[in-house]
Amino acid sequence: MVGTRVGNRIIGAESPVTVGWENLPKVEGGPFKRFFFTWFQPVTFFALLAFWYYAPNDIAKASTAIGIGIGFKVLLLGLEWVNPRYKSWQLTWKELVTDLFYVGLGYTVLRIVDDFIGDGVMIGWVQEQWSLDKFSWFTGLPLLLQAFLISFIFDFGQYWMHRGMHNWHPLWLTHAPHHFVTQLNINKGAVGNPVELFLIGLGIGGFFDFLPRAFLLAGTFGLTVSIYQHINVRFNTPNWWRFLFNTIEHHSVHHSRDYEATRSNYSGTWIIIDRMFGTCVDGEAEILGIEGGRRMSIRETMHYPFTEGWKAIKAKFGRKGGFAEPDAVPAE
Amino acid sequence: MSGADAQNVWEQPSPSAFRMNLRYIDWIWHVRDSVPLPEGQSAEEALDRIEPMLDQMDTTHERIGHMIAFTRKAPVPQDPLSVFEDGELSIVATDQGRTLRYHLVSKALLFCFLLPVLFIGFGQLMLAAGNYQMAQAEAKKKADGAQKKDKKKDEAKVLELNPIDKMLGAPAPEKPKKDKEKERKPSATAAYVFSALFAILYVVGRFLEPWLVRRRFRARLEGA
Repeated sequence: MVGTRVGNRIIGAESPVTVGWENLPKVEGGPFKRFFFTWFQPVTFFALLAFWYYAPNDIAKASTAIGIGIGFKVLLLGLEWVNPRYKSWQLTWKELVTDLFYVGLGYTVLRIVDDFIGDGVMIGWVQEQWSLDKFSWFTGLPLLLQAFLISFIFDFGQYWMHRGMHNWHPLWLTHAPHHFVTQLNINKGAVGNPVELFLIGLGIGGFFDFLPRAFLLAGTFGLTVSIYQHINVRFNTPNWWRFLFNTIEHHSVHHSRDYEATRSNYSGTWIIIDRMFGTCVDGEAEILGIEGGRRMSIRETMHYPFTEGWKAIKAKFGRKGGFAEPDAVPAE
Repeated sequence: MSGADAQNVWEQPSPSAFRMNLRYIDWIWHVRDSVPLPEGQSAEEALDRIEPMLDQMDTTHERIGHMIAFTRKAPVPQDPLSVFEDGELSIVATDQGRTLRYHLVSKALLFCFLLPVLFIGFGQLMLAAGNYQMAQAEAKKKADGAQKKDKKKDEAKVLELNPIDKMLGAPAPEKPKKDKEKERKPSATAAYVFSALFAILYVVGRFLEPWLVRRRFRARLEGA
């Protein structure tokens, strides 16, 4: 495989990756289908922004956001059925159960952990120590600017956390299980080792005393932009959207079986952050996964960072530090 | 299971009472069914058509006479039999003619069957953690109250909208509610919702997957 030169890198030398928007397929079908899958993303984005901007106070609350979020996900699952990007990514019963298991962990066990040692606790402690609640000046800014800043600052943090995971072995061990997925579906964002899900969920947004409405508006960026990272739907996404926001195309390149391609498109929502730091690759890939595309079981996903970490420690310090077993395989 | 050791499950004697008892519940994750062969199709031809379905990553299979046994650890989603990790398929002669009989084992079905119990457990854990945190908060509040009895509590500030938002007609924020109203009560609702969801998914999967596998075998045998 030859691959394609993108800057100083060769993308797609190990596994097929399509590079460049002009080379991507378009939505096929009748005029209504093409119209629907061209306008769906921008219309839902602006409609939800307008909804949260103007909704009365008794409607603009977290429970409404949760309801809309669940309803929107069900709708997107339906769209995956109607207009799949790849047949090989089609959701099966087993994949749905597996994905929902990880989603369920996020709503239950991880929530408990977050309450005890997550960002909420840490931010509360820091605020108590240094009175960071003085940042409330921020609430005087226009709502949409607040929402943009919450989303962008959070994503900026996520970008570096994610990039760190791909460049520092201990962090990579927590993130690697997520890269064993061989298909992308709406809930695949939740698939991974709980340690990673905990780390990626840490944010600094809580330092600011934002208006709740600004939080709900910022959530719209998550619900109507970053949610498409793992969707198996073919859209005719507008060029301005692709320039600003992360898309399934970008994220499929990141999940490709091509090593060099995985070292790109780290942001969750704002692909412009990748453009700023030179890590953006515009394109798409169908063949995903690592280690030849083998599936990682739930059991292995749970212990992988620890068992692989232990192996790495033994390999590095075993001989000097006395970790090595006396009957260990002789060194080369 | 290796091909050499594999036996037809219909002819297998129960080696112990435990195994006999297990047989009453193993329908939870075992699928036993059969598909009649098209008229005139030989056993060899039928297995020749079925065998390529098992040429998948991480799968070992062995054909002995009129039987195929297969096993794998974690089949990929693109695998047509991805729900089943082990299985035996054999061609047997019946009164109605030759039939493909199969016995498939699915850890995924068993896992899904057990998930509702696991999530009820998570729910109990959430309640316990929530109650613990509430007790801690209550104790802290009492301790703080004793220290700052004289200090007048700051009135909650009403946040003001930016003039641009006022001009565009966004609703003005209301006075923040009192602490007591804000306090979250421990809740296990999310865990129970997932528990119910997995119970429904198990029922769906227990009917859907055997139906799908039967359809795939039939299509293979008929050469579609």
